[in-house]
Amino acid sequence: MSEYIVGIDLGTTNSALAYAPASSADGETAPVQLFPVAQLVNPGEVTALDLLPSSLYIPGANEFVEGSLALPWDDTPRYVTGSLARKRGVENTSRLVSSAKSWLSNQNADPTQPLLPPAAPEGIEKISPVDASREYLNHLRSAWNQAHPDAPLEKQTVLITVPASFDASARDLTQRAAKLAGFPEVTIIEEPQSAFYAWIERNPDWREQVAPGDLILVVDIGGGTTDFTLIAVTEESGSLQLERVAVGEHLLLGGDNMDLAVARFAEQQFAQKGTKLDALQFHSLWQQCRAAKETLLAGDSAPEEQPLTILGRGSGLVGGTVKGKIRRDDVRQLLLEGFFPIVAADAFPQRQRRAALMEVGLNYASDPAVTKHLAQFLRQAGNARPTHLLLNGGVLQARAIERRLFDVINGWLKESSAPALIELQNETKQADLMHAVARGAAYYGLARTGKGVRIRGGVPRTYYVGIESSLPAVPGLAAPMKALTVVPFGLEEGSRVQLPQRKFALIVGEPAEFRFFSSLSRKTDEPGSLIEEISDDMEELPPMEVSLPPHTDATREEIVPVTLETNVTETGMLELWCVAADGRRWKLEFNVRERAAAAA
Amino acid sequence: MPEDIASHFGYAKPMKAPEPPKIKITDGALQILQILQRDSRLVDFLMEDISSYGDDQVGSAVRSIHGDCKASLTRHVTLAPVIDNVEGTYQKLDPSKAPDPNRIKLIGNVPATGKAAGGTLRHRGWIVSSVNLPPLGKQDISVLAPAELEVE
Repeated sequence: MSEYIVGIDLGTTNSALAYAPASSADGETAPVQLFPVAQLVNPGEVTALDLLPSSLYIPGANEFVEGSLALPWDDTPRYVTGSLARKRGVENTSRLVSSAKSWLSNQNADPTQPLLPPAAPEGIEKISPVDASREYLNHLRSAWNQAHPDAPLEKQTVLITVPASFDASARDLTQRAAKLAGFPEVTIIEEPQSAFYAWIERNPDWREQVAPGDLILVVDIGGGTTDFTLIAVTEESGSLQLERVAVGEHLLLGGDNMDLAVARFAEQQFAQKGTKLDALQFHSLWQQCRAAKETLLAGDSAPEEQPLTILGRGSGLVGGTVKGKIRRDDVRQLLLEGFFPIVAADAFPQRQRRAALMEVGLNYASDPAVTKHLAQFLRQAGNARPTHLLLNGGVLQARAIERRLFDVINGWLKESSAPALIELQNETKQADLMHAVARGAAYYGLARTGKGVRIRGGVPRTYYVGIESSLPAVPGLAAPMKALTVVPFGLEEGSRVQLPQRKFALIVGEPAEFRFFSSLSRKTDEPGSLIEEISDDMEELPPMEVSLPPHTDATREEIVPVTLETNVTETGMLELWCVAADGRRWKLEFNVRERAAAAA
Repeated sequence: MPEDIASHFGYAKPMKAPEPPKIKITDGALQILQILQRDSRLVDFLMEDISSYGDDQVGSAVRSIHGDCKASLTRHVTLAPVIDNVEGTYQKLDPSKAPDPNRIKLIGNVPATGKAAGGTLRHRGWIVSSVNLPPLGKQDISVLAPAELEVE
């Protein structure tokens, strides 16, 4: 058994690692600690910080003084990860890799191909989103092993968090990155659930705060993604149980987008006064706007405006200094009305506008109104009426945003005569809001081995394989697709579903491909049931592929009839297997390349 | 294992100790300056002729520099007052001996003996309890800040 249980929050903009001794698994209150990660903060200066920025810099041959990139565990690292990468990346964006995580769930690109940085000029060796994630995990592992030589991280029980909205393919890629980073097996856990575990960890009396029948809405606004999850409180033989009943769709919209919106607005104001900012000055402005936003949205006593100071470049520091300010009303307008507008319960987010999106490479949410997405989510969850609200994410440190979310949801509840929301307080300090996910993951790791409470939930989607219908082919028209349900919604970890109803013929030595679909909203399809038509609420994932090894006797061609079997591992990974009548089994693997080619 | 046998089998470590890196007495001072320039642009500020700018202009620049300067100073140097007391209050001293001139400077009506029973604390003094500077690598420490060229 491992010595420690470790939770890793592999975030879009920041990563964190929390841990607890495995021996503490017996109690519900566990001493979860944050691990300060040694990293370069300047050339030649290694410091341990609570967060490892998820930034990677690809250094050029003569860019840094020899030896100044050395880490305690690597004298000549190929990449710079963490604080220095972020800092240097401001000065030279063409070598900076950021938001690698967002690319793992990108439907238009193959995340195993060297795509990043997307705008790197010819001659800079790019890196794939999966390999960038590997680098962050590898950095965490090396820093940990440096501090714990007797308990290497790869020998510990490790949990990595992903957005609840990550589909099976994105989870698979996260697992793959962990394998590449030297972790034998990690458990994948959803971030909103993690945030909720962190709340339980902080509130040993949580059973007093919720009751059977309660429905807890978790809104997790990370740096780059926003995630909704509903957790139901039930009772089973006298004790409280928790069940995750719905997760929202993948929303590529987070706190960074909000801070950037404020900074862009401020930049325009400087431009109107005739000051054009360079990249470094803009970065400084961005930082100042982030802090100003929190002050201006702190509550009723917030000041009306905050000063912004841009120092002159070069040696004309005082002479070139430009002063500006940002007004509370403008920030409210930008953030509250832009991202959290008051909308009706039947609001719809605007549909995607493809052309504009392809340009940036990532499927950013086309409608920035988080509240509209939230309204849609609650409707799709069967007009859910949450009783409690748990908020997580650094951006919610701005109290006005927090209050707005309460007001909007309470407005919807009032319309349907439901009681107002009760707030579940998670972390009190801002720094903690950024660590809750890692802490919660470590707590969950303990809960799995010990007596702690565990949220049941299983797979948050229904999955299907496409089956071509046997209608006579019409020239020029693709045969219509039917969908065979292979994974029912909520299939729990450690369970297995056999689908003997349908047989497939696989040819030995040739790859066979299955089209693969998922749905967040279809929750009642039974395993094995055939849906006559691929409907709008199904989303196509990368195809799954299997290759039966050729026979040693090459003259024999063999067709093997197989049936499908679905398996959800204890670590939360979804697996599809082909099973022959004689018991031989072959695992289906995602083919991410195919997906990118299909989208191109 | 005796050393001669070990060395016979090729196990012994080389006897020569690695040469200690050459550190000049000024390197630490230059390093501090380099850090303060990098993190808070202190050298830019001190070397600029600010006589022609209004107080408003200087003030807003200083506010920003001050914050950064303080953050990087406290990151690398642990500072504490020599006498942790309220300035303006009476501070007792040992009247039998003259105070350590490193730590305490008597001003005003200083007796001929250099000894005093106490006095009004005018300045608490500063003392450094620890310095935490990153090890010097191969960088040219005399360059406080490299010239920056933006490639269009």
